[in-house]
Amino acid sequence: MLELSGVSKSFGGVHAVRDVSFVLDAGEVRGLIGPNGAGKSTLVNLISGLLVPTSGSMTLNGTSLTGKSAHQRARLGIARTFQNLRVFPSLSVEQNIDVARYAGSGTALPEAAIEEFGLRDKLTLPANALSYGDQRRLEIVRGLALKPKVLMLDEPAAGMNEEETDALGRALKWVQRAADCALFVIDHDLKFIMTLCDRITVLDMGAIIAEGSPQDITKNPKVISAYLGEEVGAEA
Amino acid sequence: MLAAILIAIGVLATFFASNYQLRLVYSAFVNLIVVLGLQVFMGNSRLTNLSHSAFMGIGAYAAAICVTPVAMKQIALPDAPWGLNAFALDPVTSAVVALAITGVIAFVVGIFIVRMTGTGATIATLAILVIVHSIFLYRTDIFKGNQAFFGIPQVFSLTSIVVLAVVVVFIVRGFRESHWGVMLRASADDETGAAAMGVHVMRLRLIAWVLSGLILAAAGIAYAYFLGTISARPFYFNHVFLTLAMLIFGGMRTVTGAVLGTFAISFGLEVVRWLETGPTVIGIDLPEVLGLSGVMLGLVIVLTMALRPVGVMGDREIEELFYRNR
Repeated sequence: MLELSGVSKSFGGVHAVRDVSFVLDAGEVRGLIGPNGAGKSTLVNLISGLLVPTSGSMTLNGTSLTGKSAHQRARLGIARTFQNLRVFPSLSVEQNIDVARYAGSGTALPEAAIEEFGLRDKLTLPANALSYGDQRRLEIVRGLALKPKVLMLDEPAAGMNEEETDALGRALKWVQRAADCALFVIDHDLKFIMTLCDRITVLDMGAIIAEGSPQDITKNPKVISAYLGEEVGAEA
Repeated sequence: MLAAILIAIGVLATFFASNYQLRLVYSAFVNLIVVLGLQVFMGNSRLTNLSHSAFMGIGAYAAAICVTPVAMKQIALPDAPWGLNAFALDPVTSAVVALAITGVIAFVVGIFIVRMTGTGATIATLAILVIVHSIFLYRTDIFKGNQAFFGIPQVFSLTSIVVLAVVVVFIVRGFRESHWGVMLRASADDETGAAAMGVHVMRLRLIAWVLSGLILAAAGIAYAYFLGTISARPFYFNHVFLTLAMLIFGGMRTVTGAVLGTFAISFGLEVVRWLETGPTVIGIDLPEVLGLSGVMLGLVIVLTMALRPVGVMGDREIEELFYRNR
């Protein structure tokens, strides 16, 4: 469905993303992990059209994304959330969701998603009156209002406690069933990623060093040395 | 609710005001339409526009040139090119032509403006104001410069302007709550976030810019149709500053703010002008202070920006104020 081939991005002399190729299948839940500065957010920005790749190409269901701006890609079905929140503070929660609904094709799903993510009672509040966790959840519902083919979540569990993270994981499982869209999830919480995702891609120094099921990834020696060694060791 | 307030002001003025006061109320309504036109663009996109008085002028002159009878124009504009002084249209057709001309100019200028952000857009709009003013001033064969362009049929009354203002309030309010308005305000909050949600930011800015231009043209036409004479001076910096102060004071994000700011400043300025002349208040002779109105207007902008940058109304329309108090 979403296919990247040989995508690279450099800023001056720094190679943030190097020759990344992968295929994201419809409806799959893919995790993207890697140490800080591995290029994860840059990759999401490249896919969503906020950055232009230095080289390489991308297609969505066979349609080339080259030269398409961020808003065009959003309308084609590439939705995302942001690591540093980007809700529209002067609009109400409902209007935040409406923005995506108006710009996209419009869908009945948000009603169910609003329910699932616990925003039903908060629709008339200004978005900046929401708690941090609720703003994260609002970004997800807003992304779903685009009726996306792929929803990219940049650290959705950041700043959430364990209970909230578990609830988020369940809600995302629901999204996968109900919304018929692929999820592409970046997060630092490995337990969260391991339980949520079907497959995991590992990025280090801008390049893919491993890809596979959660079990394969935890056993991969390259991953352990680049990333998991310290992190898993520290957590265990 | 806003419409009701406007109509009430209009009715009160019709019954109780003197001729001089009537003209003041009329000019307040013209300024109200200008401020509403400004709000449509600035309030929703939160880019600054300083060229609005120029678009008002384009509308006023275009209508004036179309509507003024041939006999009058032969005297006023003896050297006009392209046969501009050899035809005359009825007021309604002239207004439509003027709106169309202003709309096209706004569209062409807008294509450049909407690509800019922040300071760039502000300075570019200022440049447009200067360009348009220079043309009005030096193409005296068409615009008569600082001399009066006279002989425009006076077809507008206070009632007509109140009706027009009410219509414009509905248009501006409708735009704010429309799909376009909500998406544009989202882009003003966070341009990147809005683009990632599928919002075509530049297209929406252009729509608001052209709508703004059309409303400003309507204000210019109403101004010309009431006074019967126009000149280049009223469409320049003083007017830009005055209407900007009205919008900033009331709060540019809401239509209520635009209305409140216009009438508060219009009324306040009259009081200040009266103080300027050095009146006697409860037995005390006040000194004559010329230029006080300019100082006060500047102070209003500075104080609003410093103490309450979102203006008196902030993010709330008048109806929301009432719901919240219940």
